[in-house]
Amino acid sequence: MQVTGSLKGRSSRLIRSVNSLVGAAMFVAPLLALVAVWAIVVPLFNVNPRVFPSVGAVGAAALDSIRDGTLFAHVGASLLRVGLGTLIGIATAVPLGIAMGVSPTVAAFLTPLFRFFSVLAGIAWIPIATLWFGYGFGAIVFVIFNAVFFVVAYNTLLGVRTIPHTLRNAAASLGAGRWALLTEVLLPGALPNIVTGIRTGLGFAWRGLIAAEMIATNVGLGYMLFVARDFYRTEVIVFGMIVIGVLWLLIDRLLLVPLERATIERWGMVRRA
Amino acid sequence: MKTLSLRNLGKTYFDPYAGAHVTAVHDVSLDVEPGEFISVVGPSGCGKTTILNMIAGFIPYSKGDILLDGKPVHGPGPERGVVFQSFALFPWKTVLDNVGFGPKMRGVPKAERDRIAREYLALAGLSHAAHRYPNELSGGMQQRVGVVRALANNPDVLLMDEPFASVDAQTRMTLQEELTRIWQERKPTVIFITHDVAEAVFLANRVVVLSKGRVLDEIAVDLPRPRVWDDLVKDDRFKQLSARVLQMVRAA
Repeated sequence: MQVTGSLKGRSSRLIRSVNSLVGAAMFVAPLLALVAVWAIVVPLFNVNPRVFPSVGAVGAAALDSIRDGTLFAHVGASLLRVGLGTLIGIATAVPLGIAMGVSPTVAAFLTPLFRFFSVLAGIAWIPIATLWFGYGFGAIVFVIFNAVFFVVAYNTLLGVRTIPHTLRNAAASLGAGRWALLTEVLLPGALPNIVTGIRTGLGFAWRGLIAAEMIATNVGLGYMLFVARDFYRTEVIVFGMIVIGVLWLLIDRLLLVPLERATIERWGMVRRA
Repeated sequence: MKTLSLRNLGKTYFDPYAGAHVTAVHDVSLDVEPGEFISVVGPSGCGKTTILNMIAGFIPYSKGDILLDGKPVHGPGPERGVVFQSFALFPWKTVLDNVGFGPKMRGVPKAERDRIAREYLALAGLSHAAHRYPNELSGGMQQRVGVVRALANNPDVLLMDEPFASVDAQTRMTLQEELTRIWQERKPTVIFITHDVAEAVFLANRVVVLSKGRVLDEIAVDLPRPRVWDDLVKDDRFKQLSARVLQMVRAA
């Protein structure tokens, strides 16, 4: 029994790694095709570099920004803002979401506010955020926080509500008090939804970040795009767009997906399609 | 070990669909001695699960008393362990941590509660599954974990709510035999809710038949132990007792 079990485990692991390799290839192929079309079309039609840059020009812009360190300054500034705003968002949204999940009164009172503010969440806050925090770091972190907060709080609420009541009864009849119920049942039970909320919220936050940086700062990826526009530097704009997209994919694949895999899938709480 | 007493226990609640008050349990009195195994049977709607939920403290009772060693009980507590029909294992905890949950709530240090959990897992033949997650186990194995998780907390009374109703027939018989064996080894006080007459007789020292929120009758089961299905299906005394209980349940 043991031997067949481990053999089965090994072969399924092999199948999984082959699958993920195929998956990666299928993911990269259309992107490479797009680059190929780009490499052919721009010289073929002699496209004005003020309208769209050549592949070579974007490559050169990439090398330049890496060599003089400006890329790292922009990326670092953007990541710091997203990271801090997201952390503050999660740290405040999860307790509130759990309070809402546990108490119908709190949920009933706050739900209309949540409906209203989720519509507003994001870049609509930029003007007033710059009045409160000034141009720069504070205003942008606030916008990120805003994008993350409502989604994560709402998903935490959903998560707590989906925990079967028998699990709470089981914990109570095994001697769990209020605090243990929170840390041993409600938090881990809501985690699948919390992770979903973080993924969605971070997606909103990433878009909000770029918009906010175009308006409210002098460093960061959004700013890098916006300034390049003033000088018709399309190669810098396109390079910046690629960095924004690639960074998001990296955050999602290297941070959020493994987090999901290590917890939720392992517990069998989410079945992958 | 303590005596559990139900004194004129009753439960009336408002049913929003019917728009009226409904009495699920009229008047139930019952004494359960330490180390006794009691089965409670009855047709659906007879109030058996409501009684168990009241003893467990999951729902409040409307009249009468529930006394554990003379003291009234309110709300859930670790002295009344529960085994659920839906298993109710924590999906985010390994089997070992599920079984060690009760001791953890009592503040037992990690090494000691792991030792306790391993001891109980061995009792149920589950030592090999200690580090697996519940979703990796079959229904029968999950409920074995459910049973030893409740036992590992050393409750005064073990409340079992149709615990084997959702596993297949073969597994159910194995689980029933294992439960009688574990009961003989540890002698916990058990209240076992079921609608399966043969199961009720097979397991218990005493079968309580409920009807419409009242105790219809009680039957002592004096079959020798250890009990195994291969013997009991041929046993005349078992057949007689089962037939008597079945008659009462059908008339109820």
